[in-house]
Amino acid sequence: MGIISHRSGEIDVLLQGNEAIARGALEAGVLFCAGYPGNPSSEIIETLIEASKELPIYVEWSVNEKVALEAATAASFSGCRALVSMKQNGVNVISDFLIHLTLSGIKGGLVLVTCDDPSGVSSINEEDARAFAPLAEIPLLEPSTPQEALDMTRWAFELSEQIGNVVMVRSLTRISHTRTNVKINDLPDFETTPRFDTNAPFHTFPVVEKHKKRQKKLDQAMEMFETSSFNRYKGPTEPELLIIGSGCARSYATEAVEILGLRERVGILHLGTTWPLPKDLATRHLRASERVLFAEDVDPFIENSVKALAADLGNELGTKEFFGKASGHIPSTGETSPALLLEVLGEIFHISWKNSFYREKIAALIGDATPPREFGFCPGCPHRGSYYAIKTALAWDDRDGFVSGDIGCYTLGIFPTGFSQVKSVHAMGSGLGLASGFGKLEKFGFDQPVVTVCGDSTFFHSGFPALVNAKFNDSDILLLILDNSATAMTGFQPHPGTGTNAIGDRVEPIDIEAVCRSLGVDVISADPYDTEETARIIYDLIKRTGPRVLVLRRKCALVQGREGGFPYKMRVDQERCKGEECGCGRYCTRIFRCPGLIWDEPVQKAKVDEVICVGCGICATVCPHSAIIREEK
Amino acid sequence: MMDPINIVITGVGGQGNVLASQILGRAALQQGFKTTIGETFGLSQRGGGVMSHIRLSEKNNYGPLIPPNMAHIIVGLEPLEALRVLPEYGNEDTLFVVNARPIYPLNVIAGDVKYPDPKWIRQILIESGKRVFWLEATQLALELGGPIMLNMIMLGALCALPGFPVGGNDIKNVLKDVFSQSKVKQNSKAVDVGGDLIQTHED
Amino acid sequence: MTVSPNPEGQSRLIEEIIDKGICVRCGACVGLCPYFHFFDGKVVVMDRCDADTWNCLQLCPRANPEGDILNESGGIGSYKTVTMARATDKEIRETSQYGGTVSSIIISGLQSDQIGSAVLTDRGGATSPEGRLARNRKDVLDCAGSRYSASGSLSILNGCIKDGEDRIAMVGVPCQMEALARMRELMPDGEERYGRVSLKIGLFCTWALDYRQLDAFLKKEGVKDPVNKFDIPPPPSEVFRVQTQGKWRDFPLSQIRPFVQKGCSFCQDMTAQEADLSVGTVEGIEGWNTVVLRTDKGAEIFNEAIEEGWLETQAFPEDNLEHLKEAAQNKRERGKKSIIKGVRGQAWE
Repeated sequence: MGIISHRSGEIDVLLQGNEAIARGALEAGVLFCAGYPGNPSSEIIETLIEASKELPIYVEWSVNEKVALEAATAASFSGCRALVSMKQNGVNVISDFLIHLTLSGIKGGLVLVTCDDPSGVSSINEEDARAFAPLAEIPLLEPSTPQEALDMTRWAFELSEQIGNVVMVRSLTRISHTRTNVKINDLPDFETTPRFDTNAPFHTFPVVEKHKKRQKKLDQAMEMFETSSFNRYKGPTEPELLIIGSGCARSYATEAVEILGLRERVGILHLGTTWPLPKDLATRHLRASERVLFAEDVDPFIENSVKALAADLGNELGTKEFFGKASGHIPSTGETSPALLLEVLGEIFHISWKNSFYREKIAALIGDATPPREFGFCPGCPHRGSYYAIKTALAWDDRDGFVSGDIGCYTLGIFPTGFSQVKSVHAMGSGLGLASGFGKLEKFGFDQPVVTVCGDSTFFHSGFPALVNAKFNDSDILLLILDNSATAMTGFQPHPGTGTNAIGDRVEPIDIEAVCRSLGVDVISADPYDTEETARIIYDLIKRTGPRVLVLRRKCALVQGREGGFPYKMRVDQERCKGEECGCGRYCTRIFRCPGLIWDEPVQKAKVDEVICVGCGICATVCPHSAIIREEK
Repeated sequence: MMDPINIVITGVGGQGNVLASQILGRAALQQGFKTTIGETFGLSQRGGGVMSHIRLSEKNNYGPLIPPNMAHIIVGLEPLEALRVLPEYGNEDTLFVVNARPIYPLNVIAGDVKYPDPKWIRQILIESGKRVFWLEATQLALELGGPIMLNMIMLGALCALPGFPVGGNDIKNVLKDVFSQSKVKQNSKAVDVGGDLIQTHED
Repeated sequence: MTVSPNPEGQSRLIEEIIDKGICVRCGACVGLCPYFHFFDGKVVVMDRCDADTWNCLQLCPRANPEGDILNESGGIGSYKTVTMARATDKEIRETSQYGGTVSSIIISGLQSDQIGSAVLTDRGGATSPEGRLARNRKDVLDCAGSRYSASGSLSILNGCIKDGEDRIAMVGVPCQMEALARMRELMPDGEERYGRVSLKIGLFCTWALDYRQLDAFLKKEGVKDPVNKFDIPPPPSEVFRVQTQGKWRDFPLSQIRPFVQKGCSFCQDMTAQEADLSVGTVEGIEGWNTVVLRTDKGAEIFNEAIEEGWLETQAFPEDNLEHLKEAAQNKRERGKKSIIKGVRGQAWE
């Protein structure tokens, strides 16, 4: 039995933040869990999937976040506890339903977990999803450690049921992907029977009344927050500086205060319940200090609500000195760090903390000798072949064509690893919508070919409506579905095309080609490893009109690696390799860029790195002088 | 030893960094340590940098990131990555345990930028910290069955450092919780191989 | 012939020739490296090259006007004799555009083993005409006829030389003959590589069409099926004839002229002066070719084709010769003027 589904608690275990969230939900007796994969949130549902093997709960990977919330809400409406989890972008996807749902209210505890990703460590934005809590008028909890993530998630269900509305929990990459000792508690009996009470329907009418009710629920939450143990103060009664912090920034601040020896001078108000702001609590602490520093990731969320409070109480509190995003002390872009908090506190208290002598010495020694690591597709990745074929076809066409991209590993097509073919990337499925629009510009003189790429999972998530739109409006859209049979970027979760669902049930796989055909869209498939043939197919498709789909199908190289590997042993015949000379110009290493095919500096020739190369064999067709040899293993 | 003990394990996607950190964390937990492991992997499947911060304390669970220049030990699964974290986390007393074999970034392969000479990297580390264990670990991993054995060799090396509070045997005791039965033996062997590398290391 | 080295290599070729639209699609720069392809009637840049050594720019006949090659004699350049010829073989004559002389010489050469293979231009169809390596009579007949658009067939020559081909006959238009001369002289291993071309047959050319523009025009005009044959009958007809599935459609030449390759306006060579022998139509006499014999090699293989019974000849009318020289001189003057006007950009300044 896994630790996550351990029934009796009171033990200390090493849990990742996301596992702690999952455990918290289990300790609250959650019945229905749903989500869509996305780093840094994926492990929450993955952990619950593992637990579902031993516990009577239901878990699903939904087709997208909005459907996840809708599906989970059904359990809540039926009186059961439910959890949905997603990364920050997912909250945008659910927002339409969320804002109506919070008007109608819910029944069984319904907890929405967002894992925000400051600095976009594994994201294409770094938005602060907390902004949705005031917009939807729902309470917000912010853990700062995996332990709090567990405790808050568990309590969020109670809160949700007490006020009858959704509760939002905001994690961060640095909490979700941190492992620490976590004390777990007993699991309950999981004995709820879902039942929908037809006398108590859920809808938003009358709108104004429901709106008022929603705000009352928020007031109720605030009252509970005033005395919540998730808000703690540590420090002198009248500190020279009050730090109000949440999330990781709070823990960095705590350590910085220790390192700088400011324990007697600085107080830290650790806020776990950040929306609505517990006003009395905040007021008490504001009275005690003239200077306030806000430590939080991304937006000035706590900062703005505390400042609004201070403005309301201006007569009583007088003027405070605030340090935070507005003052420029804490940036509102990029993640916070221990270094940042040390820097800011050092500045405020005029303490030099840096070992500048060491840093300068090292900087002088190293200079600019550490090249960054460029993002790249894995060795054997079918996307490298797909983009090589796309590049070739667009070059043949020679009208300055480009790729409208989407979200997945293949987003890396914006970089040289994808030959920089991708020229736009935004939300899930948006590449198709954009292409649908580009496909209607021809009559105004637009003659650039546009290829849109989309992974199999992304297609099901939200690409499909855009393809329907293209068909409906007869748009000249060429969609390449890069089908690697996995949600590879986020850890190989199943999706509607894979034939199994989250809990491992065999389900009939949805055939992408059949879906396209049923729309009346022409669809063919090709092998991304056969770059020449695929390029010809793409070139021919570019010249045609109307909606067209090409499925480029090959297993993700990491999956293939596990399932028997690749057929070839590669080597470079350095006699034949022309290296830098005219006629080659290091074509394979400079243009094709596979991590397994490296440059042998001493002899100035290409070479296979046998530790990295997996033996997919694509590069053999790239060498103009047949110097890359593939031999059957 | 200091409290907390701060360890950076850094490498490239696909080297098994995250797993090695978890195993160390589990073993440390069994030794009664308050353990924190911060993982940074982001977009990297392979090719990108991957870094873990491991913090062991008898008193507190510390935050997920080590404060600047406060790493006691830097484990580099790849030499360039060890060099990269040096200015941010290293100090005069830092111990380095570094695998000597480079994994070339794509921009180096392409000739856009140069990979520094590994001998030079070693020299910089020697000048910057307390001691450098420069290990030909990839070669041994290949002999043990494949490049993926590297992480356990390096973990074995880390745990063989003089005074390090988690030993190779502590690591081996948790391998069975992590690996399937068939892989435990091979990985245990790798931990021993790593330990030997430290015992027999000549500066 | 002098060429000043240009360390900027490919970038300069792209900026000054390809991006300016004055590439004549001869194919000289294609097939030597992965950075250029000839595809569907066009030389396209696949990737950017930064090699320090470079051939592509040196070989380009548009980047290097090399007036000294072309100006060594006026009109049709240096020659031994000019004569009229046509195929004796009925099938060759019916398949060919005019007199079938080129097909006959190649077939004769292949059969007598004077040549091992020949780089010709196929008929295209669904895509542009392309170079093809012909080894027998059937291959040759498949390639007979004029397409009026460039085939980049030097790329095929480059490819087959890399594959070890020897005793090759190259049939091409004047810009290709010029490029071939440059390749042999300027590439470090040019002699070794292009010494393997044992016969150069030049085709008279006044201009070639941009295939992609022509194709788009024909499609717009409802010509959907692959074209079997094109023809421009002698003046004063002023029509461009297109045959699909046995049916001819005529377009006023004025509708077609806008598709003439921009780079052709700078050409000073109508009769392929760098060839061993050059072949074209005969003004006013249908079914015969003009043949300009320039080198011993050209004369030898031509005479052999006559001896073997593949060709019959007639004396070339004196008036026609004057006319031909005048037409060639006019093209030379037009080309020079265009160059002076600077329309060609800065390629060799």
